[in-house]
Amino acid sequence: MATLNLNALGKTYPGGVTAASDVSAEISDGEFVVLVGPSGCGKSTILRMIAGLETITTGQLDIDGSRVNDREPGERDIAMVFQNYALYPHMSVRKNMEYGLKNEGLPKAQIAERISEAARTLRLEGYLDRKPRQLSGGQRQRVAMGRAIVRQPKVFLFDEPLSNLDAKLRTELRAELKALHHRLGATFIYVTHDQVEAMSLADRIIIMNAGRVEQIGTPMDLYLRPATRFVAEFIGSPSMNMLEGRIGADRASLSFDSAPPLSLRGDLPGVEGQRIALGVRPEHLDLAGDSAGRIDLSVRFVEQLGADTVVHGAVSGAEVPLAVRLAGVQRHETGTVLPLSYAPGNLHLFDADSGRRLEVEAG
Amino acid sequence: MVENRPILNFVTHAVLILGVLFLCFPVWMALVASTHGPDALSKSPIPLWFGGQGWDNYTQLLSAGLPAAGGVPIGMMMLNSLIMALVITFGKIAISIISAYAIVYFRFPFRMAFFWMIFLTLMLPVEVRILPTFDVVTKLGMLNTYAGLTIPLIASATATFLFRQFFLTIPDELVEAARIDRAGPVRFFIDILLPMSRTNIAALFIILFIYGWNQYLWPLLVTTDEALYTVVMGIQRMVNSGESLPVWHFVMGTAVLGMIPPVVVVVAMQKLFVKGLVESEK
Repeated sequence: MATLNLNALGKTYPGGVTAASDVSAEISDGEFVVLVGPSGCGKSTILRMIAGLETITTGQLDIDGSRVNDREPGERDIAMVFQNYALYPHMSVRKNMEYGLKNEGLPKAQIAERISEAARTLRLEGYLDRKPRQLSGGQRQRVAMGRAIVRQPKVFLFDEPLSNLDAKLRTELRAELKALHHRLGATFIYVTHDQVEAMSLADRIIIMNAGRVEQIGTPMDLYLRPATRFVAEFIGSPSMNMLEGRIGADRASLSFDSAPPLSLRGDLPGVEGQRIALGVRPEHLDLAGDSAGRIDLSVRFVEQLGADTVVHGAVSGAEVPLAVRLAGVQRHETGTVLPLSYAPGNLHLFDADSGRRLEVEAG
Repeated sequence: MVENRPILNFVTHAVLILGVLFLCFPVWMALVASTHGPDALSKSPIPLWFGGQGWDNYTQLLSAGLPAAGGVPIGMMMLNSLIMALVITFGKIAISIISAYAIVYFRFPFRMAFFWMIFLTLMLPVEVRILPTFDVVTKLGMLNTYAGLTIPLIASATATFLFRQFFLTIPDELVEAARIDRAGPVRFFIDILLPMSRTNIAALFIILFIYGWNQYLWPLLVTTDEALYTVVMGIQRMVNSGESLPVWHFVMGTAVLGMIPPVVVVVAMQKLFVKGLVESEK
């Protein structure tokens, strides 16, 4: 259990490649923080810098108020779970869990106690004398978690621990992880590229892109008020529709290059002619009751998911892709035009050049 | 080719059996010859089945040796061969696994230069560097010692390279997990790397033991003391024992005895070797 303070952390490799820069965050005791982003965004680098597996080139990392930049991984009081489990193949499950404790010089009785407790928690009691290769992927990952738990570290670090598992197992283990966090009350830092995992697990999400932090906030902050266009498109599935255009003269319509203008209710922020991106989530679009829809969608294809139906198409008359998520099972033929409506509060506006969020002015 | 035709089966088996017979015939002849008296092999027809003198021949070989060949008992020579082969094998494995560990896991200046230097020694087998090596050994006063017999043969680029390649396949995460588990470099080497290399060590043990056991030219050069003769040298000396006729039954008996330890090593280690191939530890 610990607080972490990431102060402008940066990593530049000797070759001159910068993997992460100016990453700052405060992580409080017992928090479940998820670092999320596309591959190559530097999220793993940040985690590895916290673990001490990667040297920190700029900035400072504090655990519980003391600087740990130059401490060895073993001296930082952290435990890490790796994507490919990283179990010692020649050791039994028990030996795998014992190894770190033995190196710490813990008395035998205490080691045995911790292991039996971890095994009970993770339902591994029957497997303690097996070798890792005799276990399934899910069991191996539980052993890796067990190896972390028995250490009773201040901080747990997870590097995409569920990515090698199949979808069903992933959901199961996700729930187990959440329960584990509840019971241990420890600080968890978790890296994933899967936004669903991030949304479902995190107390707070740090979303990264190209080595920089895009936004830090609760899952609902990120979903409801994405700070940048990148965040808006990364969170949510199918991802947010983005309509790029210019603000019209009346500041209430959006004109496209090759389509009739779209009129919006309320004043748009910014100046006339400014290029902006208008975002609206597929689940926030609905079929308009009458023909007075604000956007017309010409249907290209339909994904039937059972609980929802996702209709993909384009804004009628323009080549701007648009998707809408409708509740229940619905049939729509390719080529038909659906009038869609939305609540003005569900629109997000971003500057097309900087990607920054623009607040819609009241009115 | 996964075909199942009776004729093809017959032909392939016949070829295999012929091959086995062809390879085994000399061994069989050595076994047979070692059980006959001195005269049986000099006249035709050469016997193809065991004679009655096996016991006498072998007891004399093991206890007394041959007067014409210096009178060193074969048992003594076998012990010398064993010591030489084992020292070479363990020395080679120890040195090469440690150097491979250094090259793969540590960042030090001129790391690759060292690697390539080791690699280049592949081009300099004993036969090529035999004069300078002999000179060095002489000046160090190591003639007629076990040290002189073994140390010059211990450095091994091949084994270093093999271990390096194996270490490169071990995922980095394993090293990192060990670092987090507070295993320092020595701990990691002993607790993780050595046990994981078990099957590679076994495979190398087989190859290197036979290499060491079969050394001929080097022992011939550095030993003049009969107490240090090896089996392979012993056979050579028996064949060229002055004016008298070669004592073929003793020569063959020595050859058979000389074959036993490598066979034992292969049979014993093969299980571990095959196990390592079947169970992939990843």
